[in-house]
Formats: sequence, C-alpha cells, structure tokens
Amino acid sequence: MGLLDSQEGKKRLLTVELPAIEKYNATREPAYRIRVVRYADGLLLRYRLRPAHNDYDLETRLYSNYPVTPPETVVLTPLEPCPHLLSGQTLCLWRTGSLSATSRWDPAKHTCVFAVQAAWRWLACYEVWYVTRQWPLPEAR
Amino acid sequence: MAHVIQVGAGSGGMVVLDLLAHDPRIHKLTLIEPDVFKPHNAERHYFPATCAGRLKVQLAAQWLHERRADLLVETLPWDILDPQIQADLAERVAEADLGVCAVDNEAAKFCFDSLMRRQRKPWTLGEVLSGGIGGFVHRFVPDGPCYGCVASYLQRSVEAEKPRTDYADPAGAQAALRIPANKAAIFAIASWHALLTLQLLDPSADRCSTTLLVGLQKVDGIFDEAPRVHRFCVPRLETCLLCGPPSQSEMPARADDLDRALHEALSRLEHPG
Repeated sequence: MGLLDSQEGKKRLLTVELPAIEKYNATREPAYRIRVVRYADGLLLRYRLRPAHNDYDLETRLYSNYPVTPPETVVLTPLEPCPHLLSGQTLCLWRTGSLSATSRWDPAKHTCVFAVQAAWRWLACYEVWYVTRQWPLPEAR
Repeated sequence: MAHVIQVGAGSGGMVVLDLLAHDPRIHKLTLIEPDVFKPHNAERHYFPATCAGRLKVQLAAQWLHERRADLLVETLPWDILDPQIQADLAERVAEADLGVCAVDNEAAKFCFDSLMRRQRKPWTLGEVLSGGIGGFVHRFVPDGPCYGCVASYLQRSVEAEKPRTDYADPAGAQAALRIPANKAAIFAIASWHALLTLQLLDPSADRCSTTLLVGLQKVDGIFDEAPRVHRFCVPRLETCLLCGPPSQSEMPARADDLDRALHEALSRLEHPG
C-alpha cells in the first residue's frame, strides 16, 4: 500500500492525515503551521515547535509504506548530543512492542499529527535535559 | 469447490499449504512468495538443502503436484509490497474465495489485510511467537476487525517483558526477537492455522472473526500451563484509522477525481500560511 500510489494510501491522506494537519494548523500562528511537500514517494512535513523558550525546526518524513512504517522525525536546528537522539538528529520516538502508548506507533490509532506531538514532547524533555542533564521521562530511559 | 490465495511459503506457510491442499474442497491454490530457498531454510522446511537456489513457489508447486495432480496451482514469485503489482494482486484476490497469510513481515500483513478487506474476502493469519513458546492464529471476516484493530488490541493487552533499547543500534532487532522457533512449534501453529482456514469452507461452522492464542510451552507470567488454546474475539476498534467508519461520502469515487482532490489538498498545505 503506497501512500501516494495506491487508492488506499490516497484515501488515508484525504480522509485522515491531511484533515488532521489542517485542524492542527487552524489553531496556530502561521510560523508554527505544518507545511506538506512531496518527498520521493512519500511526504515531508516541515514545521516549527516551541516547547518552552526556544524554537526548533523539524521535518517528519512519511515514507511510502506509511502508516504501517512509523513516521521519522529529524530536528533541523542543531542540538547538543543527548539521550534518545539518533544519527542525523533523528528522534528516537517509537519502539516496537512497547507497552507505553506514547512510545509505540499504532497505525490504527495515530495520525502524523501524533508524531508532531511526540516530537514536541521529546523537545520539551530535551530542554529539561539541557539544564539538568537528566532525561525527565523515566520510561524512555 | 474453493480457490485459496496464500501469501508466504516459508516453514509455516508450507505446512498450511500442504494441509489445505489435502482437502478435496479446494480446487485451486494461488501462491505468492518471492523468496529463493536457501540452505539454512532446510532446518525447518519440507525441502532439503539440495533445493537451495530454487524459488520457493516452484518447490511448493512441485510438492503439491506430486500429492494432488488435480489441484490447480498458480505460482506468483511476487513481493506483495511491490506497488507495481497491486492491480494484478487485487484481481487475483477478487477471483479467490479466501486468503491465507503466512508471512512474518508486519508491512506485508497490513498489505494483505488491505487487499482482502477491499475485496471483502475472509482470510486467516498465523504468527509464531519468539522462541516457539506459542503462537496466534487469527481469522478475519468482512466487516469484522481488521489486522490494524487486532495488532492495536494485542499491543495494548499482551503483557511481555520490556526489552531494553540498545541505543548503540536502535534499529537493530532485539535479541529476544531473534530466538528462533523450533520446527515442532512452527508446525503446531501452522496446523491450527490450516484448521481455522478450513472452517471457513464449512457452511455450518462459526464464521465470525476470532483469535486463537496457542500456548505451547510453560512460561512464567505468559503461559501458566501448556499446551493450551485460548480463544477470544478481538473487538473492532470503533475509531480504527484503517477500517473504521471512513467518510466515504466525502471521497471521490473516480480515480481521477481522487487524484485531483489529493493534489488540491496537498497544494493547500504546501503554503498553509
């Protein structure tokens, strides 16, 4: 099921994902809205988050077999090396088999906006870690 | 007479195929499997290492022909995730009466689920748990829960030891997931898989969606006694984003209109400011 090359993928975008993004954008200032661009055979969400005092630019990639494959989020703003940050400043967000609803990607329940919210939560943790050097969410350790 | 479409001819899939082929009610089998048989497959498979290098679909077809010459066997060495073959796959599914999924790749399971749901065909899925301690067998029917509902439900409710993430290799497989199942466990789950599939051919049998959890080994905190079969029905997730009530009324019916609507929506979101 390709996101942009199958009926199923297109319907998922039109009925679930894009309306969720429009709803998210509706309540935000223009600078913090999600932009959607085509990326290879998937989509790229470009957006800015401000979890506390700083702005961060991010990209969330929806690959061709999204939503089966979880979205991948990269922080474009330079970060200090920290826990739960993978190479290329990719956020470590999803873990197969996790019992925590916030660290397990569920294609039956989650939209790409959930990934944006997960990135917001990750960055909020990063801001706390930056000051305390302790990652605040114990289950993520 | 029934036509079965099966994806996967690995060690478990081959057992399901063989058991189904021995049922005279089945007159045609369509088998989809892109893999080549490798020497290490021989440990858990019907075929010896000398078959290495041949397509699994070819080996399976030969096996079936030697046992039931009257059975029509269509072999498709395809990857069901390949976008180029989706239309052909949908045609094959439309011709079949029921489906069998015997793959251990999550993306392929979701893809098969999508194909079967669109054509409103019942299907079954077998899953052997790590280490062969047991397995799941699921039966899906039109308007019942989809694979996404079941996967979501099981992730929420099945208790398991939390593996620690290896941050040096976060994308790597967890050691616990690499424990192979033994041949007896694979064959046991595959036999349950075949039984649940054959029930779909019996008009008097219960045809609701159902899940069997088969415990094969006693494991503290998971299976208190073994062997034991637990049967339960996973409810359809009301808000499932895969099979839940779609806003079909807003959906363009024609492919061209769908493409146009998608293009317009994406253009809108390219410059949302």
